[in-house]
Amino acid sequence: MENRQSIPCVELRNVVKRFPGVLAVDHVDLEIEQGKIFTLLGPSGCGKTTALRLVAGLETLDEGDILIDGKVMNDIPPYRRNCSTVFQSLALFPHMTVEGNIAYGLERRKTPNHEIRKGVGEMLELVGLEGMEKRRPSQLSGGQRQRVAVARSLVLKPRVLLLDEPLAALDRKLRKEMQVELKRIQGEVGITFLYVTHDQKEALAISDTIAVMRAGKLEQAGAPDEIYNTPRTKFIADFMGASNILSGKVIATGDGKLQLETDSGLKVIALHNEGTGNNEITGISVHPELIELLPSDAGLEGDNRFRGRVIEMIYQGDFIETKITLSQTGELLTAHFPSRLEMVTRLSPGEEVLVHWSPKSSNTLLA
Amino acid sequence: MKAGKIADIIQRLGVILVYVVLWMPIVILVILSFSSHAIGLRWQGFTLQWYVQVLNTPKAMEALKNSLFVSTVATVISTIGGTLAAYGLYKYKFRGRSALRMSVLLPITIPYVVTAATLLIFFTQVIRIPMGYITIIIAHITFSAPLAVFIVLGRMARVDWTLEEASADLGADKLTTWRKVIVPVLLPAIMISAALIFPWSFNDFTITYFVAGVGTMTLPIYIFSLMQYCRTPVVINAISSVFVVLPIIGLLLVTFLQRKETT
Amino acid sequence: MVKFLTKQVHLPYVGPVGLWVLLFVLIPMGVAVYLSFVTSGPHSRIIHEFTLDNYRALFTSARLLILARSFQYAVVTNVVCLLVGYPLAYWIVRHGGRFKLLLLGGMIVPSWISQLLRLYALRRLAGDPGIINSVLLGLGVISSPVKMLFNPTAVVFGLIFVWLPFMMLPIYASLEGLDQSLLEASVDLGATPFKRFFTVTLPLTKGGVFAGTILCLIPAFGDWLSPLILGGDRVLMAGSLVRLYFISVGNFPLGAAVAVILTAAVLLMIYIFIKLGGEEAIERLV
Repeated sequence: MENRQSIPCVELRNVVKRFPGVLAVDHVDLEIEQGKIFTLLGPSGCGKTTALRLVAGLETLDEGDILIDGKVMNDIPPYRRNCSTVFQSLALFPHMTVEGNIAYGLERRKTPNHEIRKGVGEMLELVGLEGMEKRRPSQLSGGQRQRVAVARSLVLKPRVLLLDEPLAALDRKLRKEMQVELKRIQGEVGITFLYVTHDQKEALAISDTIAVMRAGKLEQAGAPDEIYNTPRTKFIADFMGASNILSGKVIATGDGKLQLETDSGLKVIALHNEGTGNNEITGISVHPELIELLPSDAGLEGDNRFRGRVIEMIYQGDFIETKITLSQTGELLTAHFPSRLEMVTRLSPGEEVLVHWSPKSSNTLLA
Repeated sequence: MKAGKIADIIQRLGVILVYVVLWMPIVILVILSFSSHAIGLRWQGFTLQWYVQVLNTPKAMEALKNSLFVSTVATVISTIGGTLAAYGLYKYKFRGRSALRMSVLLPITIPYVVTAATLLIFFTQVIRIPMGYITIIIAHITFSAPLAVFIVLGRMARVDWTLEEASADLGADKLTTWRKVIVPVLLPAIMISAALIFPWSFNDFTITYFVAGVGTMTLPIYIFSLMQYCRTPVVINAISSVFVVLPIIGLLLVTFLQRKETT
Repeated sequence: MVKFLTKQVHLPYVGPVGLWVLLFVLIPMGVAVYLSFVTSGPHSRIIHEFTLDNYRALFTSARLLILARSFQYAVVTNVVCLLVGYPLAYWIVRHGGRFKLLLLGGMIVPSWISQLLRLYALRRLAGDPGIINSVLLGLGVISSPVKMLFNPTAVVFGLIFVWLPFMMLPIYASLEGLDQSLLEASVDLGATPFKRFFTVTLPLTKGGVFAGTILCLIPAFGDWLSPLILGGDRVLMAGSLVRLYFISVGNFPLGAAVAVILTAAVLLMIYIFIKLGGEEAIERLV
């Protein structure tokens, strides 16, 4: 058992996949730990779905290796790999009942009938669809169909469950519910999940590890809070919502802090980072919610205090998205100020403001 | 809105007129098939004697059997071949794909006589097989397979083909996927093809005439011979009512299948 | 070679039909073209010498007339079917209501009844002796039977009678599938019903009209049953010539030449249709 735990459940080694005119997967290396939810996150066309299909065996790779439980799977067809896919369109067999759908994989393995019945019953309980065995997919709601698709794949006890944007077709509220459901199911069953999505919030909610992909390449992999708080590249920072990106170079260090000068001449303070050379740093990013509004009489002494003018305010319920141009350099910052603060509600476009963020909130970017 | 009302009535009358003209000849034939008077309009009494006579005519029964045989074989082969071809044309891109699509259309876009005549030439001059039920079946398949191809092709575009991938993903090989997923999903289109091809083949005369040899007797050929050589071909009336009832049944069948397809 | 064959995944699927088309459509047509350029000697033996005699024979006045008349009849049939079928389909789509399915079925069922029987029914009705004549004589309206058959009008009527459903049904399908919101938009923009029809409805149903034409004009062009049953020996069409030379006379090369001319004419017509914008019609069929 110990041996199995230490081998990654799924491994991609230098995997390359080409389609006519496009390099879909560009020398990707990754390891997926046993029993965890691993998410491939990225915009459309970044190669995440292709990578998933390569693991499933629905596409053949051009270079590299794919391993499941340490065994090379390159030439093995999908019906002999020990993984199961939940498709974006769900692909439930319309001419079979819920029971028939879930039992399909077991029947292909020539499992004896009583075992099939047992397995199906357990699955229905697990996903919360008891009593729905005889229904047809057309008689189910979106969320229910979702669960049948998951049950159908899980009943086979695959080594890894592959999910291709499974919640994309659901409305917002249902999506959030299903995210919780999926995480619960995974916890109960303990099977490794390889999840693909373009929705950052979804990835943050559900994953143990997130790997961000872009144009076929893997840009960064890590825990959700890592990816969110310390994205390494401008692309990832922007993708995760840290829309305030200031390019610049380190001009001074000291006191555990770094001072960067942006291309426009702004001086920004960040915390010194062990393990990254100062000349590797290309800028900083700041999340909008980390920018604070200071009373206009507070002075400019201190790190990262800037004067600016409010350009636009968009009410978003719990926060107000505020666009501010900095007086010194004209840069545009986006801040999310909490709408419960009186100071914030009294603001209006055209007014002068004083904004600030702590050096801790400056995330250093490497590319 | 008097004028509008009048226009409306005229339109309705027009529609009724068309249907009356279209159906009248056949309906009269059917009615006459129950009349005990041989010809003419004089009604001398309701009778089923013509139907009985048909049933007692060995030649007619023989022709019926042959027609059923030929049409069934042609329908089965056309539907199977057509479904496979539709699958291949839809899913794969290959050299000659558009050429194949165009040439499959050919038998039904040129006048039937031409295709029938070319087959006649082919059978007698090139491969020299005796004209008989085989040649009729071949001719019928040549005309019906295109229909099956395009009906199934139309359905293929509306199917979610990740179903195939799901089936493979869950452990089924290609043959099993065909059996358990593809055929059930395509079934409505396959059945509609069969429902269209069978009556067409059963009723066909113009093509069968060309490729039937001496002595091969399908029902339409039998009817034609009655028409040509019989002074008072009264039994034709009886036979024709059967020919009218069958399509109606066929249509009901197809509407039922269409309903199933839309679920 | 084996590797090449195994890569041709599509073969098991399109193979059978492809082979069939090659064997029973393309090759026979090629043979027919070849035959049209040779002659047949005594005992219907083929003399394998290139000659244009067959075509020359066909371009004599009598036979050319038959071919030209066939085209004329087919066009008339098509036009009448269009003028009857389109309004009919239009009416059913817009005012059919509860009867829509019934009316549609009423058009589909005749198309499934054997052409032979339908024409026979017409002959029984209009012939001498025939039903109409019996009625009229019986009622004393006429004193001697009216000869309604054995003239071109009867033949053309028979063609219309047989092929009308095939014109009407594609048009119906096309009208039924018309997006109502397009018509509503045009009303919104101020179009009268008349204008609406010509600027929106008609262009959008072009596909159906072309499909109907292909299913009506081309079979009518090559039809020989209607001329035979309703026209007797007096009216001959192109298809009748084909039958004559292949079945009655046994002169295959001459018959082949007629077939080639017919095919060429039809392919030319189809080509013109496509150029006139019938692309969508082909798309819908294919």
